[in-house]
Amino acid sequence: MHDANELTSAEEDDYYSGGDDDIDYGDAQEDYNYEYGYGNDDDDDDDDDNGDYDFMHNDSDADEVSASRAQKNYTVLKEEDIRKIQGEDIMRISNVLSISREAACILLRRYNWNVNDVHEQWFADEGRVRKSVGLFEKPVVQFLNAKEVTCGICFDNYSHELVHSAACGHAFCDSCWKAYVSTSINDGPGCLTLRCPSPSCGAAIGQDMIDMLASDEDKEKYRHYLLRSFVEDSRKTKWCPAPGCDYAIKYVVGSGNYDVTCSCSYSFCWNCTEEAHRPVDCETVAKWILKNSAESENMNWILANSKPCPKCKRPIEKNQGCMHMTCTPPCKFEFCWLCLGAWIDHGERTGGFYACNRYESAKQEGVYDDTEKRREMAKNSLERYTHYYERWASNQLSRQKALADLQQMQSVHLEKLSKVQSQPKSQMKFIIEAWQQIVECRRVLKWTYAYGYYLPEYEPTKQQFFEYLQGEAETGLERLHQCAEKELQNYLNAEGQSKDFNDFRTKLAGLTSVTRNYFENLVRALENGLSDVDSQGASSKATSSIAGSSKGKGGRGM
Amino acid sequence: MTSCSSSARKASLSKIASNRLQKELMEWQVNPPVGFKHKVTDNLQRWVIEVNGAPGTLYAGETYQLQVDFPEHYPMEAPQVIFIPPAPLHPHIYSNGHICLDILYDSWSPAMTVSSICISILSMLSSSPEKQRPADNDRYVKNCRNGRSPKETRWWFHDDKA
Repeated sequence: MHDANELTSAEEDDYYSGGDDDIDYGDAQEDYNYEYGYGNDDDDDDDDDNGDYDFMHNDSDADEVSASRAQKNYTVLKEEDIRKIQGEDIMRISNVLSISREAACILLRRYNWNVNDVHEQWFADEGRVRKSVGLFEKPVVQFLNAKEVTCGICFDNYSHELVHSAACGHAFCDSCWKAYVSTSINDGPGCLTLRCPSPSCGAAIGQDMIDMLASDEDKEKYRHYLLRSFVEDSRKTKWCPAPGCDYAIKYVVGSGNYDVTCSCSYSFCWNCTEEAHRPVDCETVAKWILKNSAESENMNWILANSKPCPKCKRPIEKNQGCMHMTCTPPCKFEFCWLCLGAWIDHGERTGGFYACNRYESAKQEGVYDDTEKRREMAKNSLERYTHYYERWASNQLSRQKALADLQQMQSVHLEKLSKVQSQPKSQMKFIIEAWQQIVECRRVLKWTYAYGYYLPEYEPTKQQFFEYLQGEAETGLERLHQCAEKELQNYLNAEGQSKDFNDFRTKLAGLTSVTRNYFENLVRALENGLSDVDSQGASSKATSSIAGSSKGKGGRGM
Repeated sequence: MTSCSSSARKASLSKIASNRLQKELMEWQVNPPVGFKHKVTDNLQRWVIEVNGAPGTLYAGETYQLQVDFPEHYPMEAPQVIFIPPAPLHPHIYSNGHICLDILYDSWSPAMTVSSICISILSMLSSSPEKQRPADNDRYVKNCRNGRSPKETRWWFHDDKA
């Protein structure tokens, strides 16, 4: 997987120039994608052969195409980026409307930081706009003749130099102003629309007044609210929802694919801000999450305490610690609680009475090998739901584990490996890429279970095809996971440089690329509603399109 | 004493607050709002004010009592203003004396005074088309039983005339 693009694209240019015959080609393609966003995404891989898809024509690195295809419809913004853009927008309005920066800021905030809206409203009816936000052109009261001015809050008298007023001219003494501003800022973001204290005056208090009157701490709070308003009120930006992440995402609205990956590495859906959920759409995700929360109490109890007897299907509640279960008479079937297999197949070899190796190893790899058995059992709706929920949840867990492994890899193992194999760390990037791919695949795989749950039962061909694709995806991912985890271990533990390390690199990079392609095709196929499957049930074309392309591209790296 | 007043803030007035209240009191003595009488006590932090319904309105000839409690940071913070029961029958006044009036809460400004509050309340009373309690009176009063201040209520203002 590729990181989300940041403002600087120097790194990416570097990445693209890796190919041998396509250095300029990569750049051109990037421009293309930048302009047209994600619009060119609906090319099927069948098109490769037809030549419709120019970029794929050249038999160069297909990864580059897919990587760049998934980019440029959003930007990750750090705090300084946000401030910069905000400042530029304010400057633009200030210049075009010939008003102060403070006034421009008040206007932008009023129109949710939409520059076009400000222009439109202002030029349609400047007077109305000014009135609504409290931007006065001339004072409504003047004290020029009086020697002293009475502060409208404490009612003490002051000479002119000691009072301040907004554009309206209502005078208040320095300390009352300060208390007023401080109270408002400490009340929350409402301070951004602060008005003159005089009842029914309504003159806006801009940032210039705040800067003059607020304490440093309060000024900082105000600046923070202003930043938050820019991100939260604008239609084009959202905060990254990951806990503790301060980045925002600027999204090209209307550009299709909603999945974004923040620089903090959290992937989420820009539309619904749930975690990234391609190939499932937002509505299905909302339905699924609601279902999970509605049934979770029920579900958790059932998952923890009861399972249907693999033979007679009656729910069995586990009441003892041992995994050896015996169903109540007349069934009396003896089975293993963990793998639901017949107990007769178990013994010391499989872990005795307290564990089940079949189960443990399957769990470690993220799949249960009793998939078929469970599938048969998922007959009534709860069982059916359990089936999908369990797999959804277990892929979620696998993903978290893989994420932890990835971090471990980055922080500890890579360094070590680079020493042992005496190769620079930059040459170890393929391992990180493999793990990033595993994390991404677990995410996709997880959501395919929500997808499967909502697949209409009256379309058995689609279901069969879906399950075939899902099965292939699991197998492919297992292969990659195995290689990145187990085979890598040999090189991690090696005493010195391994001769076949470069072969390992080729293999792992190849598997990464094959798996990436397969999953990308899978996501597209599911997003298209498996439309390749026609009602006659001829799924051979679609099968060959997905499986075939993965095979074809896979040949390169293996 | 109403049950709701028990939560009045205990912190005593800041110097700014008591200076300002002294000034308001002086101004009141010289120029009291028509229809109101301040009942003199030595407690600057709680004023009890007598309200006389304006002639020619539904409340003509009736007398009610307002209780005004000032917070430590008055006038930056709004005072708490309630009717001491029995409260006038009015679509924006609850039977426990709480008043649904925006300037007492969200729209308070430190440039407002007790006097300006009184004028707003009298105008609210005078413009009432009929003597009745707010539709949600019972529910609201029940929720306030533990001595909740009206300032802790999220008010939804019924109309702009209030």
